[in-house]
Amino acid sequence: MSHTLAEHQPGFVPTADACVKIAVRGLDFFYGDFQALTDITCDIRDNSVTAFIGPSGCGKSTFLRCFNRMNDLIIGTKVEGLITLDGQDIYAPGVDPVDLRRRIGMIFQQPNPFPMSIYDNVAYGPRLHGMKKKADLDEVVETSLKRANLWKEVKDILGRGGLTLSGGQQQRLCIARVLAVQPDVLLMDEPCSAIDPTSVQKIEDLMAELKSTVTIIIVTHNMQQAARVSDETAFFLQEVMGEPAMLVEFGRTADIFTSPKDKRTEDYITGRFG
Amino acid sequence: MRENFRKELKDLKQSVLDIGRSIVDVTRLSVKALVDGDVDLAEQVIAGDDDLDQRCLAIEEHSLEVIATQFPVARDLRLLHSLGYISMHFERMGDLGVNIAKAARRTASRRGPQTLYDLIQAQGNLVHRVLEAMLEALEKNDLELARKLQDLDEPIDHLFKQFFRELARLQEEEDIEWASSMVLASRYLERIADHAVDIGDRITYMVTGQFEAPAEEEEA
Repeated sequence: MSHTLAEHQPGFVPTADACVKIAVRGLDFFYGDFQALTDITCDIRDNSVTAFIGPSGCGKSTFLRCFNRMNDLIIGTKVEGLITLDGQDIYAPGVDPVDLRRRIGMIFQQPNPFPMSIYDNVAYGPRLHGMKKKADLDEVVETSLKRANLWKEVKDILGRGGLTLSGGQQQRLCIARVLAVQPDVLLMDEPCSAIDPTSVQKIEDLMAELKSTVTIIIVTHNMQQAARVSDETAFFLQEVMGEPAMLVEFGRTADIFTSPKDKRTEDYITGRFG
Repeated sequence: MRENFRKELKDLKQSVLDIGRSIVDVTRLSVKALVDGDVDLAEQVIAGDDDLDQRCLAIEEHSLEVIATQFPVARDLRLLHSLGYISMHFERMGDLGVNIAKAARRTASRRGPQTLYDLIQAQGNLVHRVLEAMLEALEKNDLELARKLQDLDEPIDHLFKQFFRELARLQEEEDIEWASSMVLASRYLERIADHAVDIGDRITYMVTGQFEAPAEEEEA
């Protein structure tokens, strides 16, 4: 990954490119003394789905959590380098991580609805951000559930507990909950690993629909899923145990899965290791 | 990793190479039948065509099954797709070989000028050389050899033109059915070599992942 020294200067902001939602330059990440990621540089395009793939322990989830500063919650972690969202450094002093996490929502492997009604799950974020009028909340709940392709299934049972839904429905409820605060970016950390194939299909369809308004980054162990849903793919690898992982190749998904440039990518996606 | 899958790819490629070997035989024997006026040999080549078609079809079906069930990507996907494509070429090359055998059957009852048989034999030898090189390039993923096929093909095109001129010169003395069968046979040989050159382009793609612009085909 090539980048110039100038890009490492404090305050450097990459050229404002309308297509680039998130820009990463020379990113290093540390858990205490252990460096987990080294020198990552890439651009995440707006209104696209980007997939992160690589063997277990290659740092893809760690990298994902850098985007909404989730790693800040782990004591002893350190980020060096630059990540910008719409040209703004997200680690700059004065950036409120809570506000950042509204703009960059996250979906986890295990659906995690709050132990409250379907309605309250979706209304939770908007209420937290000050929305009080019932009509406004009703509208945002309906819109968000519709965007998450769950409305038809739950519109008559909005008062029922979120945890009574099936796993796939719960995951879509979590997506609706994130969409309710109108994020720019959706981070998905293996969102389909714990749900049934029909629900997987629904979530994959949903990603294709949502990307016109939300930039999506998905970590997945399922390479067919990466190939199916993403526009661009990033392959991460920790070559030597104990050494930091790196971004080996980043490119159009169609190119990565037909003619990858790096032999390590080729060997991984064709199942020769990993 | 994925040992069964690897073995399946290897076996499939071997089957394609075996069909390629049969194409070499079909071409060689059909030219021999033509030059020797050997109707029995021509019949033997013609009779073998159905089997060849079946084997080519089996490759296509098998490649599709592997694509559908194993989700191959990158070089594996390029290999599988290319094997299907190459077997399609082989099927057509086999048909062209059979057409030469049919020409042999039509022309056997009449002996023409030796020059023409010599020219056909020379063309057949050059085609044989292209086919051998193509098979070696496929077997060894030899990029350099695959790219050389175009050069090996050139003299074959020249021989076809020479054959055509020679026949035109002698035309008045020859009956039209015999003459057209002979010129067609020469044309079929030239087409077989063209298919081999196309396969060379496919081998290049299979190895590099890049499509190289095909050379301009010269109209005969």
